[in-house]
Amino acid sequence: MLSYILRRIASTLPVMAIVALFVFSLLYIAPGDPAVVIAGDQASPEDVERIRQSLGLDRPFLIQFGSWVWRILHGDLGTSIFTNLPVSTMIGQRLGPTLSLMMVTLLLTIVVAVPLGVLAAWKAGSLIDRAIMAFAVFGFSLPVFVVGYVLAYVFALELEWLPVQGYTPLAQGFWPWLQNLILPAIALGCVYIALIARITRATMLEVLQQDYIRTARAKGLGQGGILFVHALKNAAVPIVTVIGIGIALLIGGAVVTESVFAIPGLGRLTIDAILRRDYPVIQGIVLLFSFVYVLVNLMIDVTYTLVDPRIRY
Amino acid sequence: MSEELLRIDDLHVAFSTRRGMVEAVRGVTLTVEAGEMLGLVGESGSGKSVTGFATARLLDAAGRVTAGKILFRGQDVTKLRGDDLRQLQGAAMSMIFQNPRAALNPIRAIGLQIADAILTHKRISKDAARAEALELLRAVQIRDPEARMNAYPHELSGGMCQRVMIAIAISCNPALLIADEPTTGLDVTTQKVVMDLVAEIAAARGMATILITHDLGLAARYCRRIAVMERGRIVEEASPRTLFGAPQHAYTRRLVAASPTATSQIEDLVTEEERERHAAVVSKPRQELAHGTPPLLEVRKLAKRFDEGAAAVADFSMTMAGGESVGLVGESGSGKSTTSRMICRLIDPSEGEIVFDGQSIGHVASRDFHRSRFRKDIQMVFQDPNESLNPRFTAFDCIAHPLMRLDGMRGGDALRKRVEDCAERVGLPLDLLPRFPHQLSGGQKARVGIARAIACRPRLLVLDEPTAALDVSVQAVVLQLLDRLRRENDIALLFVSHDLNVVRMLCDRTIVLRNGGIVEQGESRALFDNPKTDYTRKLVEAIPHIETGPVLAAAL
Repeated sequence: MLSYILRRIASTLPVMAIVALFVFSLLYIAPGDPAVVIAGDQASPEDVERIRQSLGLDRPFLIQFGSWVWRILHGDLGTSIFTNLPVSTMIGQRLGPTLSLMMVTLLLTIVVAVPLGVLAAWKAGSLIDRAIMAFAVFGFSLPVFVVGYVLAYVFALELEWLPVQGYTPLAQGFWPWLQNLILPAIALGCVYIALIARITRATMLEVLQQDYIRTARAKGLGQGGILFVHALKNAAVPIVTVIGIGIALLIGGAVVTESVFAIPGLGRLTIDAILRRDYPVIQGIVLLFSFVYVLVNLMIDVTYTLVDPRIRY
Repeated sequence: MSEELLRIDDLHVAFSTRRGMVEAVRGVTLTVEAGEMLGLVGESGSGKSVTGFATARLLDAAGRVTAGKILFRGQDVTKLRGDDLRQLQGAAMSMIFQNPRAALNPIRAIGLQIADAILTHKRISKDAARAEALELLRAVQIRDPEARMNAYPHELSGGMCQRVMIAIAISCNPALLIADEPTTGLDVTTQKVVMDLVAEIAAARGMATILITHDLGLAARYCRRIAVMERGRIVEEASPRTLFGAPQHAYTRRLVAASPTATSQIEDLVTEEERERHAAVVSKPRQELAHGTPPLLEVRKLAKRFDEGAAAVADFSMTMAGGESVGLVGESGSGKSTTSRMICRLIDPSEGEIVFDGQSIGHVASRDFHRSRFRKDIQMVFQDPNESLNPRFTAFDCIAHPLMRLDGMRGGDALRKRVEDCAERVGLPLDLLPRFPHQLSGGQKARVGIARAIACRPRLLVLDEPTAALDVSVQAVVLQLLDRLRRENDIALLFVSHDLNVVRMLCDRTIVLRNGGIVEQGESRALFDNPKTDYTRKLVEAIPHIETGPVLAAAL
């Protein structure tokens, strides 16, 4: 198992290298002289030259790439052009809110979607099943920002149960922290709840047809035991896969959600960096997201082997 | 022992389908006494399994008992709900199934699966349940039970999985065990071991058993009383001796005739009335080949190794003359299917030579063989007619396809005539040609498969268990068809099967394979009547013989 994980990590290295190359090339893919692009519209030729010198843009591409990678391997993501702060510091400041939002959303999604899917599969064809599936279609079709604004209007402005927007760090208490995350998590989670509930239902329906479920019934097992001990674990591989893909998609969703609810997270930082053409920051964030995605994929693959003894690497 | 344990009274079961309610069981009345083993025999669709499932309350959601009673110890099983039902299932009454590997949860250790059943019905600790599970594994004679407790179903053989199922079923000492085709799909020797085990356990624990099977021989060997079902009804109920000696009902007569025995001939497989209807089946003696005729097929030192593993087949040599039929028998894993596929040029041999009609064809890569001029000479009939037909091809397309690919036909009337001719030769009614596989019965699909294989007039037909998925009465007709095709068209048959009775009837010569090597070969009848090796003897002895009568029932 350990050797498998090590081999998997090793095999992600080329992927990360290609991602790094792409991220670095961002600057050069954009039309025009990178120094001019970074300097912006109002810059004087001297400013452009200063930027060119400070970023080493006058050196050959491969040497620049090499030294950039070298610095990254030492934990140096560069310095923001706009704030002059190290990119790693800026990302570090914004990591907490985004991680909190993603965690709460993920937890909410799994806790709500999987039981809903199981229930729908168990009662397939019934009114409950149809209601859950109707809700799923509804959840699919609503954009995050619409759900976000509606939720904020109803629960924050009208009912005043929860704060409208903002973020409170966990250090200031669990409830204040959670209070600020409930509405964004629901808004962001809607699509994933719908998606995972549907996948769970479909997979469970197939598993419930299997001979071993009939065996479980023949043993006299109760409905709960059949559904959760024998069926759900067999349905787990596709569900885990979709949850993993969901995590990757959450990263994109978080950008929008953070804007709607004014959460000072990585999503906001990304938008700000793009608007300011703060390339080192953009590069740092994209690199981080790619890294997280590769890590999540690795975790999914490892989870398969835990769930299904037939999967061996 | 005449205490009545189960009484099924005028049972009706219906399934709701898209085309409305379909009655699967229509008025079954049956009693089972404590401790007895009753055989419930019938072909697919006869309602025998549905009767078993209704009794165990395991019908699919679509199935419903529409009338009748199932009294188990005087209590109507059909009316049980909730906890009362669960106290019955797996405790007083339990069931084992066909295809044991699928019946076990693939991702749960077998020890846990046995313990599940115990913990559902007994208020004991998990450790105690584990200890009981271990005892049960010993009771079903699984070697090294401590290690097997943590094994998963995919790590066990089919026979082992069925033993685990039996362990689960007997874990709470049921009064009634319902065994639904418990040995179908297992090797003939494994089949005997598993059935002996069930019979022993049932006798030792005083457990009544309903043995649901399509195999009359199997029922006759283990049961003192057999009920024959046809289309949802019991048509006859008698002791095996009466059933085989003097079957009363026309359907029983047909079934008895169709069941191959150690002495039956192809012609015996249908009853006399039927034979007259198919008067065309005239056995014409095959003309003897002149000496010195080169063999049609010659295989020399064939071997196949799949990556890393041991050789699946090693040092396999044989020859076949044109129009000859050769049987290839052995248990699963013996390499018989691998060999047949190599000869058919569907997979590449690792070593050795295949010479067909004087030309070496072994070196042509299997993926290029479709361009060889010998492709149309060597054709194959596959095991499962349900799985081996493309669901989007009509019967016509299926037969026409090889004609267009290999005989260069371009469609039109000529093609239509050839396809219809093929259909006629295999006895497939022409009005079935536009149908898709799911609209055909198992026997009809088998005919489509054979018609496709003979469409290009091959000289060698390789058949991989062509009747294993078919009912005995359909099997009888298919075997007669194959025999007739061989005689009429001089097609050589390489017949791969685990059913020794069938091989004995159909094949001039038989080759016995074990672990990828030839154990014994010779003229079929001589080989089976006087096996020279222990292995062949074991195979022959494991076949349930109808004539010998119920072994265990006589001993009781």
